[in-house]
Amino acid sequence: MGAASADVKQNLLITGINHRTAAVGLREQLAFADDEIAAVLGRLRQQVPALSEAALLSTCNRVELIGVSAQADQAAAQAVEFVAIERGLASAGFAASIYRLQGRDAVRHLFRVGASLDSMVVGEPQILGQLKAAYTQAAEAGTVGLILHRAFHRAFAVAKKVREQTLIGHGAVSVSTAAITLARQIFDSLEHKTVLLLGAGEMAETTARQLGRLGVESLLITNRTFDRAVALARGLGGTAVPLDNFKPYLKIADVIIGSLTTARPLLTLDELRAAMHERKYRPVFLIDLGVPRNFQPQLNELENVYLYDIDDLAAVVEDTRGERARAAQEAEQIVELELEAFWRWVSGLDLVPAIKDIRANIERLRTVELDRHRAWLAALPARQRAHIEGLTRGLVNKILHQIVSELRRSRGVADAAYVAEVARRLLGADLVTLADTRAAVADAREDGEESED
Amino acid sequence: MMLWLVAALLCYALSFALFAVDFSWRVANLSRWAIGVLSAAVIFHAGALIGRGWASGNLPVGNFPEALSFLAWLTALLGLFLIIRFRLAVIGALVASAALIALGAAEAMSGGSGKLPHTLRSLWLPVHVSLAFLGEALLLLAAVVSVVYLFEESRLKAHRPLPGALGKMPSLERLDQVNYRLLGWGFLLLSLAILSGALWARNTWGHFWSWEPRESWALVTWVLYAALLESRLTAGWRGRRAATLTIMVFVILAGSFVGLSLLSPGKHGGSFG
Repeated sequence: MGAASADVKQNLLITGINHRTAAVGLREQLAFADDEIAAVLGRLRQQVPALSEAALLSTCNRVELIGVSAQADQAAAQAVEFVAIERGLASAGFAASIYRLQGRDAVRHLFRVGASLDSMVVGEPQILGQLKAAYTQAAEAGTVGLILHRAFHRAFAVAKKVREQTLIGHGAVSVSTAAITLARQIFDSLEHKTVLLLGAGEMAETTARQLGRLGVESLLITNRTFDRAVALARGLGGTAVPLDNFKPYLKIADVIIGSLTTARPLLTLDELRAAMHERKYRPVFLIDLGVPRNFQPQLNELENVYLYDIDDLAAVVEDTRGERARAAQEAEQIVELELEAFWRWVSGLDLVPAIKDIRANIERLRTVELDRHRAWLAALPARQRAHIEGLTRGLVNKILHQIVSELRRSRGVADAAYVAEVARRLLGADLVTLADTRAAVADAREDGEESED
Repeated sequence: MMLWLVAALLCYALSFALFAVDFSWRVANLSRWAIGVLSAAVIFHAGALIGRGWASGNLPVGNFPEALSFLAWLTALLGLFLIIRFRLAVIGALVASAALIALGAAEAMSGGSGKLPHTLRSLWLPVHVSLAFLGEALLLLAAVVSVVYLFEESRLKAHRPLPGALGKMPSLERLDQVNYRLLGWGFLLLSLAILSGALWARNTWGHFWSWEPRESWALVTWVLYAALLESRLTAGWRGRRAATLTIMVFVILAGSFVGLSLLSPGKHGGSFG
């Protein structure tokens, strides 16, 4: 404690690589498996004592060390060296890919990562879970302290806020997600729905897989080569249907995905109209991924039929891209606001030791003074001595209160730490030497026992 | 009492603005605030209605403005329930504006509290009127839900889904189902209202039905709603078609409500009790 340790600030530090600075090959080499992180953090703590707190975030897109240190440069360099040795690489080999952020920049980075603003696909939801896992692992390894604890929890709160207040997670990023999003605008839930796959191409498979994840009731697959349909049906948990026999299923199919290479349309207007009548006009979502198109555009004119071909879906993706960019902008604003709040808190931390010092020093002055008058004080009755004791204590508290509240008020000011330092100098240890104080305190303790009421 | 009214009007207006902003821009968690303000409006409005009822000694439906105000309140109350229960914040702006306009119009016309003639002051009054108004409020909400349905449906059909609404708009299926339920309940209450009206008439005047304009129109709308429900159940007239018809039939209902109240006093007095 004391003046020396308070001069150096404990500060947030992030160093690592991500999808922008390093190719996937390097990211793979540096990545840590979930089950080894706790042990790695344990070794890190021993070998890089300059880090007072640390967490390790390792995903397929990034490997980052999030730490707290009073000597950031030294800690970062040592940490990189540590990781290189852990992974059996030469640190010079990837030095160019490494970024290092400190203080506000580090906090901003952490918040942006959590809010999925730094992701490869902005707004993808997995990163928050990964960040939470990184925090839990570090907490279990015992390398999380006051600052990281707070920083992570703020990052989680920022992510939640961004998700709630912007549309960052909404909308489509690919043709297949666009199809899913549209399906969910037509149908409330896909749980009791039937999906019919005409053709088992790759994109159709991806879309069907995603629909399957939303719990569709049954999946019917037909293909030009029946074997492929059977294989896919087995893989996705569906039923294979021969191609020339799919039409009876139109009656029950709510989503029909066409991706066959076909010269003539699969469905005529009359066939679909008849099917619609049979299914009492319950809505049908036709997704045409085929080139040339599997469904005639006129089918869209039938009541409660929604036909989207691949160009329509691409247009939806394009639309939501703008939406996402705007959402990302709003999210950045949220991050900046939260960053300010967090930074005020960190700056406030600097005041705590300063206030402690000032309090200790004034208290010392009080004991020294009381000590000096101990001779005549001892002559007084216990009651009066207690009064005098109370009076001096009250005086100290009054003075302290004024100083502390003045300091707290200056918290938002850029140089709050400077103000604190000035206050410390004015009211600090310079007035009394440390040795004097110790002696005085010890004395006061000795014969103070009885007067302490 | 005036104070309650002003507070209710202000809250309706504010919740309308909040819902509208939430719908267009989706800033922050506005819909929660909008729902809160709408709830406050419903409470203030209830206060005003209770004051009215206290003054006149009967359900505050003694004249057309009072009836309109009561109907606005029921609509807002049931609308609030729908918004919360079925996560339909999208209808918020329409519900709030409907209530605002109806209450505003009612207050602009208001000729003080209406005392009902002695013949109408019976226990049948609250039963009959409450049933009728509840039914009408539900049918109004069915029309509101249908408007949202048509809007969303036309965008989907035209391959221009609302990008900002993706993921936040209720699905067509849910809107259609809510519409169906509202029609069902609205129709049931309308039937009970007609039935209770007939019984009341029998008690008071000795005959069930007198073919006065109000009764005839009630019968016409009842038949139309019956046909609407029937077509869904048997022919599968759902979705766009059902929504369009819901709106059309409601326009007839609302037209007869307003028109008859202003033109023909009849034994229903100035209101649609």
